[in-house]
Amino acid sequence: MQLKLATDVMTSVRGGGLTDENLPLVSLRDVSLGYDSALVAESVNLAIYPSRLIGLAGPNGSGKTTLFRTILGLLSPLSGDVFRAYPLSNFGYVPQSAALDPIFPLSVREIVEMGAYGRVSSYQVLPSEEKRKAGEVLDQVGMRHLLTKSFFALSGGQKQRILIARALMVEPRIMILDEPLSGVDEDSRRSITDLLIKLTRKSGLAVFFSSHDLDMVQRVADQIVRVDNGKVWVEERIAGGPL
Amino acid sequence: MSTLFEISNPSYLLFPALLGTVILGLVCPLIGSYLILRKTVFLGLTLPQIAAAGVSFTFWLQQTGFLPQWQPGERGVGMIGSLLFTFLGMGLLGYMEQRSKGLAEGRLAAAYAFAGASTILFIVFNPAGQIEVLNLLKGEVIALSKGELRLLAAVFGLVLVGMLLFRREFLLTSFDRDLAFLLKGQQIIWDVLLYLLAGVSIAFGVIMAGPLLLFGFLVLPALAARPLVKSMGSFLWLSSALGLVMAFFGFYGSVRLDLPLGPTDVTLGCCLIFLAHLVQRISPRRALGLIFLSSFALWNYGCSATTPPAPLPEAKALHNETLWVAKVKNSTGLPLLLPATNPLRSLAEMAGKVSSDYRQSVMDLLRDDLRGELEQRGFRISLPEQTDARFPAFPADSGNGIRLAREGKLSGLIFVSEISRWEADSRQFVRVLADFKLLRTDDGAVLWERRIQRAVPTPSATNLGQAYTDSVKEVVRDLFAG
Repeated sequence: MQLKLATDVMTSVRGGGLTDENLPLVSLRDVSLGYDSALVAESVNLAIYPSRLIGLAGPNGSGKTTLFRTILGLLSPLSGDVFRAYPLSNFGYVPQSAALDPIFPLSVREIVEMGAYGRVSSYQVLPSEEKRKAGEVLDQVGMRHLLTKSFFALSGGQKQRILIARALMVEPRIMILDEPLSGVDEDSRRSITDLLIKLTRKSGLAVFFSSHDLDMVQRVADQIVRVDNGKVWVEERIAGGPL
Repeated sequence: MSTLFEISNPSYLLFPALLGTVILGLVCPLIGSYLILRKTVFLGLTLPQIAAAGVSFTFWLQQTGFLPQWQPGERGVGMIGSLLFTFLGMGLLGYMEQRSKGLAEGRLAAAYAFAGASTILFIVFNPAGQIEVLNLLKGEVIALSKGELRLLAAVFGLVLVGMLLFRREFLLTSFDRDLAFLLKGQQIIWDVLLYLLAGVSIAFGVIMAGPLLLFGFLVLPALAARPLVKSMGSFLWLSSALGLVMAFFGFYGSVRLDLPLGPTDVTLGCCLIFLAHLVQRISPRRALGLIFLSSFALWNYGCSATTPPAPLPEAKALHNETLWVAKVKNSTGLPLLLPATNPLRSLAEMAGKVSSDYRQSVMDLLRDDLRGELEQRGFRISLPEQTDARFPAFPADSGNGIRLAREGKLSGLIFVSEISRWEADSRQFVRVLADFKLLRTDDGAVLWERRIQRAVPTPSATNLGQAYTDSVKEVVRDLFAG
């Protein structure tokens, strides 16, 4: 594994010609992240390319979520530029399931169908096409049998996969997952990581997920972004690594 | 008196009020569901109180001459105050939410206390019509006119359409603001729209139904529905359905038991919450059985025909004994005097039959009408005070009535009447609760008895005196009917 500065990764020429694969979906240039005047990280340079499984590793409170929120446009950068090749509606976001309020009585179907809300007008009944698609994405995550169940009655692993299905329902170019493996048992961790790998390999998605477990990130990710002490840097695997 | 079928009949006197309650019961829980899910339920309590402060403030301004008398009448004026204060309150609370640190609940609690105090102070400042303003604030939905019902239906119809049309946006913004931003852009527009619909519902609801009933409809059906559902769709429709149940059966209970509508509805709503938690704890089969049994019992009770009252015995059958018609006892705690401008008083004064400081009361009118009706039926009437001027009004309690008659050495039959309620609601009708008994002094037997408990329509009354007079005539007619 070789260590590179994020800037180098972003500017490096990858492969031959400028195909879609060679264009970054998101790039951050000299970005400072933070809330109001509280700086979390500075001089962040990062590019995310299609078909890559990227792990964001760092201790709790190091700024992983702040970085995600900046990429998603939920937080404005304090300085620098964020470029996105697609509109935000093409970003699939999987929040931590614990961040969702269990007071909402929501079925699995309703959670997944939320992913289609960006494509459906207010006055429109949800088209049958979208309902069929909801079934398909649930098939992809192996959870179709839970369609009518209450979302908050499910286990941590099941909830996480349902939220991944919701993000897939958006028809995303890039998926961003905030700590998808926290609060999840070992079997579910394995099945979720397998699912993420499958999504990058078969669907050509860029998947950017965070974890405080560096060992796990090193085991599964094509590319590792580290964040700690106000710095963000990239560790890239040598081609043909363990995956 | 009324079965479920009777109150559901469009020709029923209080049918507009029933429809108004049903509209509130249908729509308010949809708004309340979001207030609960967004954990802003205290806003649902504070805003109606702020709206109420607006109502009393506008009345005070009008009474002091700062505002001109306005054609649309009391409710129209109150509505302006209600709308103005609701939106000002929402804006101020929103601004403070953005700017201030500290507890949101604390701000809402302080606003609630301040609005409550202001409401009372504006009523106290009001030099005239304190009772009328209080009645309006109590939200006598029961006095809803057809025009007001049309306005209520139009406003709440629009709110319902808004809630249905933007249900996905409201859900997404409430549940996952980040996803809402990614898919729909700035969510502030949906927040504003949701609170606008809530504000309009609250402002209009307060003036039509009062803060208590409105708050009840906002939160109680949704709280009852929550433990029973697994999806948002079923949560919303069940909240609305329970709101309807609360509105309809609460109205029925209020009419049948002569209870005030707001507290009756709210109590029923609380019972629904208790039932919902009970149902949730037992097996689905037992829950279904419980729901079936409760529905059957409620329906059976509601639809049961009431036994027609027994007719007054004929004078001949009672051997033409002397019938003493006692003074009518007033147990309302109110004087029930007719206003000084009552023409009946002037006529009596002119005839020299009453002193100039005498004012006729509902009790006097009622006894005069009772006496006339009984005379027509062939009874030989005497008045107890003709034998002894110290005779007081007799209570309808037969034991005490007989005791009083025996102490005064009255023999034969005695007709006693007692008023427990005689209340004019916006001059369209008078709510009456009164007991009448025919007693025999010799053996203390109750030969006939009747309770009148109903809202008596007084459509042609233009003032309180006329409303009292018309209602007395209607009650006496009802008493001896059949």
